[in-house]
Amino acid sequence: MSIWQQAVGNDVWLVGVNGRLDQTLNPDLEQELTTLLESGKGQLIVDLSQTNYINSGGLRTLVTSWRKARQQNGNLVLCGLNGRLLEIFRMVGFDQLFQIYPDRQTAQDSLTAT
Amino acid sequence: MADKHVHTFPGRYDEIQRICQFVADGAAACGLDATAVFHIELACDEACTNVIEHAYGGEDLGSIRVGWHCVGDAFIITIHDNGRSFDPDAVPKPSLPDLPEGAPPPDIDDVKVGGLGIHFMEQLMDEISFSFDGDAGNTLTLVKKNV
Repeated sequence: MSIWQQAVGNDVWLVGVNGRLDQTLNPDLEQELTTLLESGKGQLIVDLSQTNYINSGGLRTLVTSWRKARQQNGNLVLCGLNGRLLEIFRMVGFDQLFQIYPDRQTAQDSLTAT
Repeated sequence: MADKHVHTFPGRYDEIQRICQFVADGAAACGLDATAVFHIELACDEACTNVIEHAYGGEDLGSIRVGWHCVGDAFIITIHDNGRSFDPDAVPKPSLPDLPEGAPPPDIDDVKVGGLGIHFMEQLMDEISFSFDGDAGNTLTLVKKNV
């Protein structure tokens, strides 16, 4: 289980989550996103294509980081959610809240188009 | 009543997946389908995360005793700790988007995410109840019906 990041051009950063996004990994994701935001990197894609689980703490981390991104005129979008993850997002209406894209490329296109 | 399966786990976040697996194996053995088993895993995760974070106030400060059994069509889970009790009614309710079809997306700043863990448990399980006893500790009972 790990968190990774990658610059994908046009000041857009990709952050990926491999494994279960539960309380063992949530603090690492929050730290990774906070570090990027504090260094002025406010256009973020969180790639959840290799994430097989998320709990309420993971959702809180995403909401909090998105708020921070917006405060610095950035954005945070999601991509690659599998059916189980989408079910969890739908359970709390977060599928209507977040900008969710099927893959990295469409997520990147959405950020670079704005 | 069927045999009750009980195991005590250290109160650490890295033990929660093992707790979820213990309960999920029981649910599968009782004939619940994959979706119900997934819901049970998520509810147990939320419950145990709350125990460590709120009842004990951190990791390695107490243990979590988890039990499961089947009664008729009900799969019953008990999660017991000896940490601080709390008033479930005092936990803030999350403020979440509930929009009609076609409405514009809500603003992220209008969303309140406190209490999401209990919200998940209530959504995922058929029954949820807390009991608090100063000497005996806290017990959360979760029930999932096998439909």
